[in-house]
This record gives sequence, structure tokens and C-alpha cells, in this order.
Amino acid sequence: MTLQAQERPLVATGGAYCVPAAVLDNLAARVRSCGLFLMLLDKDGSVVSHDAQAAVFFQRYVLPLVQYGDPTDPGLADRIRKLDAASPVTVWDTFPGVILAVFPCVERRQIGGFLVLAARSVDFNLAEEVLRVCSRLGLDAAWLRHQAEELIPYNDEAIQRQTRLVTGMFKDQMRLAGLASEMNSLSGHLADAYEELSLIYQISGGMRINRPPNDFFKQACLDVLEVMGVQGLGVALSGQVLPGHEPVLYGALSLPPGTVHRLAEQLIPMLHERKGPLLVNDLVADKSLDWLGKHVHQLMAVPLQRQDMVMGCLFALNKSSGDFDSQDSKLLNSIANQSAIYLENAILFDDSHGLMMGLLHSLTSAVDAKDAYTCGHSERVALLGRQLSAEAGMGEAFGERVYMTGLLHDVGKIGVPESVLQKTGRLTPEEFEQMKKHPEIGARILQDIKQISDLIPGVLHHHERYDGRGYPAGLIAENIPLMGRIICLADCFDAMTSNRTYRKAMPLEVALTEIRRCSGTQFDPSLTEAFLRIGAEKFRQLLAANLGRVRYLGELQQNLRCA
Amino acid sequence: MAAKKILVADDESHILHVVSLKLQNAGYEVLTASDGQEALEIAQAERPDLLITDYHMPQLSGLELCQKLKQDPATAGIPTIMLTARGYQLEPKDTNQSGISRMLSKPFSPRQLLATVNEVLLEPAA
Repeated sequence: MTLQAQERPLVATGGAYCVPAAVLDNLAARVRSCGLFLMLLDKDGSVVSHDAQAAVFFQRYVLPLVQYGDPTDPGLADRIRKLDAASPVTVWDTFPGVILAVFPCVERRQIGGFLVLAARSVDFNLAEEVLRVCSRLGLDAAWLRHQAEELIPYNDEAIQRQTRLVTGMFKDQMRLAGLASEMNSLSGHLADAYEELSLIYQISGGMRINRPPNDFFKQACLDVLEVMGVQGLGVALSGQVLPGHEPVLYGALSLPPGTVHRLAEQLIPMLHERKGPLLVNDLVADKSLDWLGKHVHQLMAVPLQRQDMVMGCLFALNKSSGDFDSQDSKLLNSIANQSAIYLENAILFDDSHGLMMGLLHSLTSAVDAKDAYTCGHSERVALLGRQLSAEAGMGEAFGERVYMTGLLHDVGKIGVPESVLQKTGRLTPEEFEQMKKHPEIGARILQDIKQISDLIPGVLHHHERYDGRGYPAGLIAENIPLMGRIICLADCFDAMTSNRTYRKAMPLEVALTEIRRCSGTQFDPSLTEAFLRIGAEKFRQLLAANLGRVRYLGELQQNLRCA
Repeated sequence: MAAKKILVADDESHILHVVSLKLQNAGYEVLTASDGQEALEIAQAERPDLLITDYHMPQLSGLELCQKLKQDPATAGIPTIMLTARGYQLEPKDTNQSGISRMLSKPFSPRQLLATVNEVLLEPAA
């Protein structure tokens, strides 16, 4: 830096006026090459900074004169004070051998300070005044003359002309500096906007309706904490929306669970009442929230809203710097709005999924209630089928469909006479024909529920055989729908390992050997392979999985029979 | 220790400003280029510690820039963070062969970009 004082604010009335050091540096270097010396004065005429690389003539002779005045001309400061914002370039030759050009630096029609250009005058000679100044400053006059001769001499008119150019340059530079700082501030805002945008992208990317709300909100809170400078960020959902939900607070601030709980209980009705964000920057003064104690001093809360209902809220505690403002609440609010849509959908999804699964289980129970000996069979086939599809490397979503198909595969037995279903001896050919109708009856029962139309092939074809000798269609190998091949395996395995009136349950190992033996004839060989990989321990677990439910159904059947 | 030098290349000046500001505030020295050719010349002359480049640029694309830098032993070791449009993916073979350490999709989070920069600069040179 060539200037002694950098970016020192020149105080103009009504605010600080600052000439950036870069502007002064730039200007000083340019005028230096024209033999001029740049100084910046405040509005009282005191030197704030000057070109420290200027020629020694300026440093040793001119600068002290401007700084301390010349006894023969004590009025420089006075004269400077008389200038106003509209003053043009003013030229003075009151200091011996020197010409000064002065112009005011103006901002918002106020004088912030003055730029002064000094030059060696064409009239410089070792006149009496110069000798007097030299002796006062302790300078050798001959040496000074030598220094002065190195410099470009100026007259009034020349310095006037130069200074007009410099004035324009100065104004341009100041404007550029202003634009650059504006650009920086805009870039800062843009960076913030990017930050918020990518936060919103990230959060909306996590909105899958089958994701548990607690999991979603945890991630969202952690994401927001990264961007928003707050000590704590929490989520609270109303008990009506998500029974059993506990409000949680994430971040550096840790509060006892009881406090978070009480806060949540208070915030949700408050937000319901005000229908908008709540910003409290002085909690101590807030009568309703001051119980939060000394660790919480600022609070912002926004509702998770569905139409008129407040389902819960997001709340932020203690901003790292400054107060919560409308920008903070706008960001948190837009995150809350998106989250509310997710939450509503997640709840609807959960509701309708629960309703459908409930209906499927009822249908299954209806079949099981009719056929005492297949009690719990459907549920086990469902579990086995799901395990098999996982083992065969199919996705979780497909596994769920297999599970549902397993539950429903025997639903057609509702249409088979009880006398056939419950017969203890061998079935006659006619009875067997009736029994063989259950896959088709099942498919017919389900055909009107379009949401599960993809399960019908599994229900219809679960008695097909890989070699084509099964029913109802006698399909061969890969022509049998995958779902059918999976259910077939699970169905046969469970039948073998369950007690029947006409035979005892096979031990697990025997059943597995039987399954292996029938690979390629009855069962799909690659599925059989996957099935055998499941392992004895897992099988025992799966087969015992729904004993409670089975016992309940057993009682139900007893009651039905008694009735 | 002298500040690490980072070259940022993007034809969109607002990206240059946002990235420069973030990196300068974090104490890095930032050089900027507004097209691939300019970036190549600056990289060769200045040997930055890291390059952050946009993929779509006039004259020379971000990928071509990386490939050229990779060919010259003097610049081959400069790690690179590539900025791409959202949803746009580069072929893994392109990224592996061009010294691209990381990819970020626009609009990226400046905070995340800075974190990535810090991370890449801490990694031992490949």
C-alpha cells in the first residue's frame, strides 16, 4: 500500500464517507506520473492520507506545509472550510513555490472531504519565502532546489486542466468501487439464495410418502441447521396427526425433554391462533414464554398447516447472530409448507394403506374361519413368499405385493363347499374338481379392485406346475407368472409343514428335501434354489410368526361352529 | 503458509462472483476465467492448487479443459471439481480419465462447494 491511511472513513454529516484505499492508490499512481502529489483531507482540512511514494520534494516540503500551515498563510484550513459541495476545482498558490488544486469529495450532496493535488510551481525559485520555510523545516535550500528541478513545473492553467481530468477519474473510480461493493453484496445474497434453493431441493428430494415422518423430519431439521445459523431446530407434531409422536429438538442447544414437550404443547395452539409464523426476539419480555429460562432467548416457529388445521410446527431457537427476521421466517415457512404437503400425503398414504391391508386381512380371516385346517396358512404363505422374493433378489416393493398375494391366494375357497374343504378323507374326483376351482373363484372375487389387479395372476396361477401339469391353465415354466411360481412354492412348503387331518406335519428337513426333489417338475428351479438358501432357522421363525393370530382364529372357528 | 490458489472457470459471471466471494472469504486466492480456453491458459501459467469448472462453456468445454490439463505433466495433477446442470451425469470413464475429483450439480450450495474444496485440498495428491 502506498497510502498511509487506508480506507479511513471521512466523516461527512449524515454518515461515514469512505474512499477505498484501492481508489486512492490507483489515483495517486496516475497523478504521480504527471508530477502531481495526491493528498486526501477531511472536511476540516486535516490530512487523512497522502501518496507515500511521491517525490521527496512533496514529502519533505509540501506535506508539512499543508499539515502544519505556513505562518504567512494561516488560512488554508479556513479557506477549505469555505468551500461547498458545488465548488469547482480551486487553485491556490499561497505556499511559496507550490500550486495546490483542491476539489470537494461529495456524496449525497454532502462534502465528505477534499482531494488535493500539489505541483511544483513554474515560479519556484529560491525566493525569500522559500528560504524561510526551508530554515523552519530544517531543509537545505540548495538541496531543495535540486529536488524541485527534477519535477514537472505547473502553472495555474495546467494544474486546473489536469485536476479536472482527475476529478472525473475520481468520480468514475468511486462509482466503480460502489458497483463492486454492490456486486459483492449481490453475490452474497445470491449465494444465500442458492443455499436456500439447494436446501429446498434436498428436502423435497427426501419426500417419499412411504418414509416415516420422524425420519423425514429428522433429516430436514439437520439439513436446515446446516444452512440457518441457529442453535436448535425442532419439530413437533400434534398427537391427533401422529399418535405417539414426541417433539424433538436438534442442534447444539440441548433442553430437557420435558421442556421441549411443554414448548411444543404451547406452540401448536399459539400458531393455530395466529395463522402465521411466530417471531420472538426477546423471550424475557414475553410473558407466555419466559418460563423457557436462561438458555433460550430467541424463538421462531412456523406452522405445519393443512387448510385450517395446524398439524404441528417447526421451531428454531437462538439465532447465532442478530435477530430472527422476515427472511428467516420466510425460509422456514417455505420448508414447513413443503413438509406439510409431505406430511399430509404420508398420513393419507398410511391411512389408505392401513385400510387396504385391514381389508385384505379380513378377507383372509374369512377364508381361514371357514377352513379350520388352513388356519394361519395364508399369513404364513405371505411371509414365506416375501422372504423368497427377497432371497431371489427382488425389490422390497415387489416383496410387499407378494406378501399381499400370499394373503389372498386362497380367497377363492370361500366359494368351495365346506363339506369339501373340511372333508377328512380322500376327495372324490368330483370333489377335487370343485376344489380346483378356487384359484379362478379367487381371481373373480378380486377382479373389481383395480389397485390390486397385479395380484390376480399370482392368485389365479398358484397351482400351476413348472412342467405344465398344474391347473387351471396348465402353463409351462416361465409362462407361469412369477408371482404364481413364488406363491406355489410357499404354499406347498407350508402345507407340508402343517398338520392336516389326513397326515401329520412333515419335519422341516423332510419338507425341504421334498421341495428340492420337485425342483424343475413342480417348482421353478431357480426359485427353488433361492428358497433353499433361506435356511432352517429363518423357516422356523417364519412358520411360528403368527401363532397369536392363529390361536385367535382357532377360537373364532370354535365359536362359529358352536353358534 | 501462502493461500492456496483456486481457478474458477464459468461463462456465467454470477457463478464466478458467488464462488469467488465464498472462497475468498474462506482465505483462498481466487483466479477466474470466463471460458475454457482462458482457463487453460491461466492454469498453465499459474498452476493453481485446484480447478473448479463448469461443464458447458464456450471455446473449450469443462471436460475438454480437464483432458488438456491431464495431457500436460505440469498440470496433470491439478484436482478438479466439475459443476454440471442438475440431473446431468458424466460418464464414469470420462471423469476417471480426466482427473475430476468431484461433481456438483447446479444450483449448488456454496457452503457445500466450500466443504468440497476443503476436502479435495486435504486429500493426498493422486
